[in-house]
Amino acid sequence: MNGDSSIVLEGRKLNRQFGFGRNRFFAVSDVDFVFRSGEIISIVGESGSGKTTLAKMIMGLLKPTSGEVMFRENPRSLRTKADREEYWKSVQGIFQDPFSSFNQFSKIQTLLLDCINLLKLKLSEEEKMNMMREACGFVNLEFDELYNKYPFELSGGQMQRLMIARIFILKPKVLIADEPTSMIDACSRATILDMFLKLRKQNDMIIVFITHDLGLAYYVSDTIYIMEHGKIVERGNAATILESPVHSYTKRLLADVPKLKEAWDLG
Amino acid sequence: MGQTILTVSELKTFYRTRLKENVHAVDGVSFTLEEGKILGIAGESGCGKSTLALSVMGFYFPPLNFKSGSIVIDGIDIMKLSREDLRTKVLGEEIAYIPQSAMNALNPTKRVGKFIEDILREHRPGLSQEQMQRLAAERFEILNLPTRALTAYPNELSGGMKQRVVIATSTILNPKVLIADEPTSALDVSSQKIAIKLLKSLLAKGFVKSMLFITHELPLLKHVADDVMIMYAGQIVERGRIDEVIFKPMHPYAQALMGSIIVPESDIRGHRLSSIPGAPPNLKNEMKGCRFADRCIHTVDECRKEEIPERARGERTIRCLFDFDYQSEETAHERR
Amino acid sequence: MNSYLKYFLKKFGWYLLTLVVAITLNFFLPRMIKGNPVSVIVSAMSQGMSDVNAQKKLYESYMHQFGLDKPLFQQYLIYFQNILHGDFGVSFGNYPRRVSNILASAIPWTLGLQIPAILIGWLLGNLLGAFTAYKKGVFDKIIFPAALFVNSMPFFALSIIMLYVFGLHLKWFPIGGGYGYQMIPNLSLSFIGSVLQHHFLPFISIVLVAIGGQAIGMRSMSIYELNSDYVLYAKLMGIRDSRVVRYVFRNAVLPQVTGLALSIGTMISGALITEIVFNYPGIGTWLFTAIRTLDFPLISGCTLMITLAVLAANFTIEIIYGLIDPRVKATQMEGQ
Repeated sequence: MNGDSSIVLEGRKLNRQFGFGRNRFFAVSDVDFVFRSGEIISIVGESGSGKTTLAKMIMGLLKPTSGEVMFRENPRSLRTKADREEYWKSVQGIFQDPFSSFNQFSKIQTLLLDCINLLKLKLSEEEKMNMMREACGFVNLEFDELYNKYPFELSGGQMQRLMIARIFILKPKVLIADEPTSMIDACSRATILDMFLKLRKQNDMIIVFITHDLGLAYYVSDTIYIMEHGKIVERGNAATILESPVHSYTKRLLADVPKLKEAWDLG
Repeated sequence: MGQTILTVSELKTFYRTRLKENVHAVDGVSFTLEEGKILGIAGESGCGKSTLALSVMGFYFPPLNFKSGSIVIDGIDIMKLSREDLRTKVLGEEIAYIPQSAMNALNPTKRVGKFIEDILREHRPGLSQEQMQRLAAERFEILNLPTRALTAYPNELSGGMKQRVVIATSTILNPKVLIADEPTSALDVSSQKIAIKLLKSLLAKGFVKSMLFITHELPLLKHVADDVMIMYAGQIVERGRIDEVIFKPMHPYAQALMGSIIVPESDIRGHRLSSIPGAPPNLKNEMKGCRFADRCIHTVDECRKEEIPERARGERTIRCLFDFDYQSEETAHERR
Repeated sequence: MNSYLKYFLKKFGWYLLTLVVAITLNFFLPRMIKGNPVSVIVSAMSQGMSDVNAQKKLYESYMHQFGLDKPLFQQYLIYFQNILHGDFGVSFGNYPRRVSNILASAIPWTLGLQIPAILIGWLLGNLLGAFTAYKKGVFDKIIFPAALFVNSMPFFALSIIMLYVFGLHLKWFPIGGGYGYQMIPNLSLSFIGSVLQHHFLPFISIVLVAIGGQAIGMRSMSIYELNSDYVLYAKLMGIRDSRVVRYVFRNAVLPQVTGLALSIGTMISGALITEIVFNYPGIGTWLFTAIRTLDFPLISGCTLMITLAVLAANFTIEIIYGLIDPRVKATQMEGQ
C-alpha cells in the first residue's frame, strides 16, 4: 500500500461507554485509525474486545461517547437525514448473517431495485435491469433464475453473494464487513474473498474486515489492527504484525491459534 | 496398535422431516477406534458429521432414526440392547457426548453439581448424596477446575468455564469412548486451547479411553487427532493419518478442503485458496455413484454409474475411482 | 445490606409509588363522569314534595354530608387522609351504609370466586399445555385448537353461554346470586350447599378461559424447552425421561409465572365481568351498580380494591420469581 493514497476515513480518540455509575464500562476507548483509499484493513479481536461496537460507530449506527470521525478530512456529521443518506452512500456494511440484513418478504428483484434507487440516478427500466444483471454476474449468480425468489429460498452462500452484488451496485468508498465468511463453508470462502478483492481493485474501495480470525486477517489485509478490551493494542502492516508481533496480547493471540506447520504449544 | 474399543459398521441413519421426507445424513459409515487414540471427523456444515456423532451414541429420538448397521463397544452391539439397558448401561457409562453448543448444554436453572448428582443417581444408585458430591469435587480438583463451579448456576460461569464443566460432566463416569462434537467452535482461541488441554489430559489420565473429535477446523484437528476421516454428503471420502491427509490429500474433495485452509502462517499470504463451485448434494434424494461428482473437475461417466466403494491406497482409504496426487504447493498455488 | 433485600425494598418503593398514583386516579376519574349524584338521590327522595326550599335544603345537606361542597382538590386531600385510616366514606347510593362496610361484605365473595378459579385455571392450563407439548400427536391436535377457541372468547361471552345452557336451558344450576334468595347466611349445610351451587357456573367460566390462555402459552414454552440443547445433553447422559421432563416443566413454567403477573390484571377484570353476568354479590357487581348510580365513593372504593389486588399479586409474583429463577436473580444483583 503506498502511503500517499488519500485518507478517506479517520477516527480520533473514539470512545464508547455503556452503562452509568458503577456499571460503566468502555466498550471502545481512545481508538484512533486512518483508512486510506484502496486499503484493506482487518480489525481483529476476541469476543468482548469491542470490535463490533467500533464497527457500528464507523458505520454511524452508534454514536461515539466522545471523539471524532473525520470523513474526507471533514468532521463527519450525521445530524440531518440528508447527512446520513449522503454518508451511507459512501460507507456500507455487510454482516455475518446475510438473512437478517434483508427484508424476508421482498423478492430479490425488489431488494436490488431498492438498492439502485438509493443511487438517485435517472435510469430507464431497461438500464436498471441491466445493472442488476451485471451485479449478479459479478458475484456469479444467475439473475434470471433469482429475481423472482425470496431470500429464504437462497442458500447462505448465495445470500452473502447477493449482499456483495448490492455493494457492487452502490460502490461505496468504504465497506465494513463484519465476519462476512463465518457462515460460509471453507470451500466457498475463497470465491467470496476474491469478490471482495475484485471490488477493491475496481473502485479503490476501502474494505474493513471485522473478525476474530487472525488467519483470515493475515490472508486478505494490508493493515491489521489488534483490539483488546476496547483498545487498539497493536497496528501495522499485516506481514510485520505476524512475523514480529510486539504487544504481548498479539503474541499470545498468535500463539493460541492452531497452525498447520508450526507446533501448537499445549504444555 | 491398541485394543479396539469401538467398531462402527455400515451405519446408516436418517432424519425424518416435518414434511415426511427422509434426509440420509449418515449413509454407510464404518470405522474403528483404538484405545488411546483420538479420531478426527472433519467436513463442512451439512456433511453429516454432527449426525454421525449423535448416531454413534446409539440412542435415537425424533427426528433422527436408525436404519441399519452396527455399533459395537467392547464386544457389545449396543443397537441390540433394549432402550432402557442402553440408557442405564451405555450412555455416559461406555460412551459419552460433548454437545456442539456446550454454551446451552446445561440446564440454566440447575446448579452444575446438582446436575452431576442427577447423572450419578441414574448410574450409581448406591451412592449417598454426600458420596456423589465428594466424587464430583474430587474429579473437578484432579482436572484443575474450581470446585465452586459445582455450586454455581451455568449463567454464572464464563463461556470457557462452562465448556470445561461440560467436559468434566460428560466424563464423570469414565466412559470408554468420548464423542466431542465441535467442542471448541464457540470459544475464543485462548479458551479453546485450555479446553483442548483438558480433553487431552482426560485421555492421559485414563478417564476416557478413546475419543472421536468432530470439527470443521482442520488446523485444530492437526494438533488434536491421530487419524482423521473426511466426510462429505454422509459418507467418508478419505481417511488416514492426520498429517498425511492434511498435507497430501488424495480425494479430490479432500484436496479442495485442504487447499482452502487459512492459517496465520507466513506462506499463506499470496496463496491462491482453492474453491469449488456449487453446493453439496441434497441428502433427501437417493443418490447413485460419487456424491462429489457434480463439483469435481475430474468427473467421468463412470463416477455416476454405481456406488463408489472405499479402497485402500497405501495406508490410506479413499472413496474415489482414481489416483489423484495432491499437487505440490508451488504448482497448485499461483502467486497473487 | 443483603442485595436481595435491597432489590426487595426497591421494588416495594416502586409499588408504593404506583399505589399512590392509582389512588389519585381512582379519586379523580369517577368524578369526571358527567352528572350529579346528589341530584339523583334528592330527586328520588323528594318525589311528591312540592316545597322547593325544602328540596334545596335537602340537596344542600346532602352536598355537605358528602363533602361535595368543598373544592375538588380539598375533597381529594380529605379522601386520601381518610383512606389512610381505612375510611372510604359513605356510599351515595346506599346511604347511610359505609363503603368499607359494603366492601367488607363483597370481598369474601370475590376472593372466594376468583383466587381458586385463577389459580386452578393457571395450574390446569399449564399441566395441559406441558402434556400436549410432550405427548404431541392426537392430544395436541384436539386440545390445542380447543384451548385456542376458548381463549379467544371474551369472558362475558363464555359466561353468558354457560348461563344460558346450564342455568336457563338445562336448569342444572341457579342463574344468579351468591346463594338462594330465601336464605339467611349461616353455617348450615344447606346454606353452604347453596353457596357451592351458585359458585359453580361463574367459577367454571373463569377456570375455562384461564386454562385456555395458560395452556397455549405453556405448550409453546414447553416445545421450545424440549428442543433445547440441555434436554438432548441430559438424555444422552442417560438421565431418565421423567427427570428430563421435570427440568423442562420447571423452565417452561417460569415464564408462565411472569405471564400470570402480566395477565392477572386482565384476568381479574375479566372475572369481575363474570360476576356481573351471574349477579354474584362480589366487587364486580357492586362496581357495576355504583357506576350506574354515580356512587363516587363506592366506585373509588371498588377500583381501589381491584388496584390493590393487582398490585399485591404482581408484587408477590415478582418477589417469588426472583427467588426461583437464578437467571433473574443474577440480573437483579447486577442491577444493584
